[in-house]
Amino acid sequence: MQPIPLPEGRWLDAGGVRTRYFAAGAGEPVVFVYGGNFGTGDSASSAYTWNLNLAPLAARFHVIAPDKLGQGETDNPPEDDYTMDAVVRHLAAFLHALALPPVHLVGHSRGGYAAARLALLHHDLVRTLTVVNSGTLSPGVGTNEVALAAPPHPRGSRACVRWVYENYSHSPAAVTDDWIDAVLATMAQPKYQESVRKMEGENLAARLFLPELAREKRETLQWLAEGRLQRPAQVIWGFNDRTAVIERGVELFRLIAAHERQTQFHVINQAGHFPFREHPARFNALLAGFVAAHAGT
Amino acid sequence: MLDARMLDVAGVPTRVFAAPGTGAPLVFAQGGVPGVTPWVSGAHAWRDLPARFARDHAVRVIELPGSGATGLPAGALTVDALVDHLAAALATLGTGPAHLVAHDLAGLLALHVALRAPHLVRAVTVVASSAAAPSGDGVANLTFAHPPAPPWSRRAQRWALERIVYAHQAVDAALVDACVQAAEGAPHRMAAQRMAAGEHERCFAPSLLRAKARLFAALRDAGIRVPVQVVWGSHDPLASFDQGLWLFRAVAARQRATQFHVVNRAGALPFREDPDAFHQVVAAFAAGLAAEGA
Repeated sequence: MQPIPLPEGRWLDAGGVRTRYFAAGAGEPVVFVYGGNFGTGDSASSAYTWNLNLAPLAARFHVIAPDKLGQGETDNPPEDDYTMDAVVRHLAAFLHALALPPVHLVGHSRGGYAAARLALLHHDLVRTLTVVNSGTLSPGVGTNEVALAAPPHPRGSRACVRWVYENYSHSPAAVTDDWIDAVLATMAQPKYQESVRKMEGENLAARLFLPELAREKRETLQWLAEGRLQRPAQVIWGFNDRTAVIERGVELFRLIAAHERQTQFHVINQAGHFPFREHPARFNALLAGFVAAHAGT
Repeated sequence: MLDARMLDVAGVPTRVFAAPGTGAPLVFAQGGVPGVTPWVSGAHAWRDLPARFARDHAVRVIELPGSGATGLPAGALTVDALVDHLAAALATLGTGPAHLVAHDLAGLLALHVALRAPHLVRAVTVVASSAAAPSGDGVANLTFAHPPAPPWSRRAQRWALERIVYAHQAVDAALVDACVQAAEGAPHRMAAQRMAAGEHERCFAPSLLRAKARLFAALRDAGIRVPVQVVWGSHDPLASFDQGLWLFRAVAARQRATQFHVVNRAGALPFREDPDAFHQVVAAFAAGLAAEGA
């Protein structure tokens, strides 16, 4: 089967950061925020993560997928600000630059955290929030370290990348060559290798990114528990995710649903960390129904 | 609008409501144990939801034996007899494989029909079904422990309905009126009389346990051949969130296309308590399956 191409890429300046994004379609704006973070040496995310979702959903909605700060082809953080806070500020600047009406945010994994934080800080920019398999946002213990520890292949090699995504997924068949190609293309960029040197070589991951994220996550969970989200939300979970197990999705749903009446919880079987890649047709139908139900017009 | 008609389903006069349309029809099967559940179900349980689905789908609403206007099967009232009736009703309707939307006890019936006659079933949506869910050595459920007398009076039925929803406002006068009317019908009175005379303890209750055991064995060993989604209310006093998730796990063990959905701030009648969310989730499942098949 031929891979579904992304829409044509575009560029804009978001708060001084040259930012790559993909957009297509018309109607309700749906903004996709993928997972991962800058400077990881054995995997790398980009907007291509959403290639099975953007084109099909563009038939009904205005779909937009930016490359996050320091990921994909977007520039690295200015002044070595390798923090999740900088990622969220960049996303907010991106939405301001597009001057859209309030958007339907769809955040996966670390992107689910960024999307939720963005919604909590900038309610005016957000109409609904969809969180997909986000161990970063949900309370409890993430098991990435266990499931993905010590890949048995040279770091950054095609085999290593494939091993990582196969262990994220329910079925190895979900890890397509075009997806791996996109990951390797991101990793091959000099600016991405620079971020790996910063995060791993200069230990910014251990010294800055992770402690800042942990501090901020405590606050974010408190805000959710206080009912600050105040937007319709849905939690979608791949049932067989070994890195963010189903119980963590249940807990996240309960946390949000306690305050937000219009909260839904959906579990998709035979899906790991990327349910939108393992079952795109049913994921797209779920998302389309939710967006249409909460359309702005 | 849906048209009502009576069908002869293997000798049981059966009321069916129908709306035309294309594609796999959605067939609604209401919940409740005939002659036992302290509110009397029927097509009215779904309120206007079937009509709403009828905008985009062919729709049928089958009234199960002893509820609404549908009579009783000839033999003992057992889960097996109700499965037989539902399968026969689908065959009699002759619509081709149907997407069953089945509440409460009917969730168990629909899964058994799908196991026995997969050619009649395109997909199953099981809604708030303690009958279909694992219960283990759970504690006694006290929701209906001490109903006001007399049973099936207006007061008793409103009491029962208000206890199973998240917020009592979901129980409107039209629902209570329809339940009272159904309680006065011959099918319910006959079912209540037979169940009170011992048929519940002697026949129905044991058949329920056997049907559950058969279901879980089938799901574990061979699996079910049709897509299944499990839809649950977040605050169902009759069937906990965990029970819903365990039913999902049991089905998911061998069926790829299995999904679980929770409707927030809903009890045992999520389709009445948040009809928008319910419609959205069921329509999305049907659309997703159609897109996968395309």
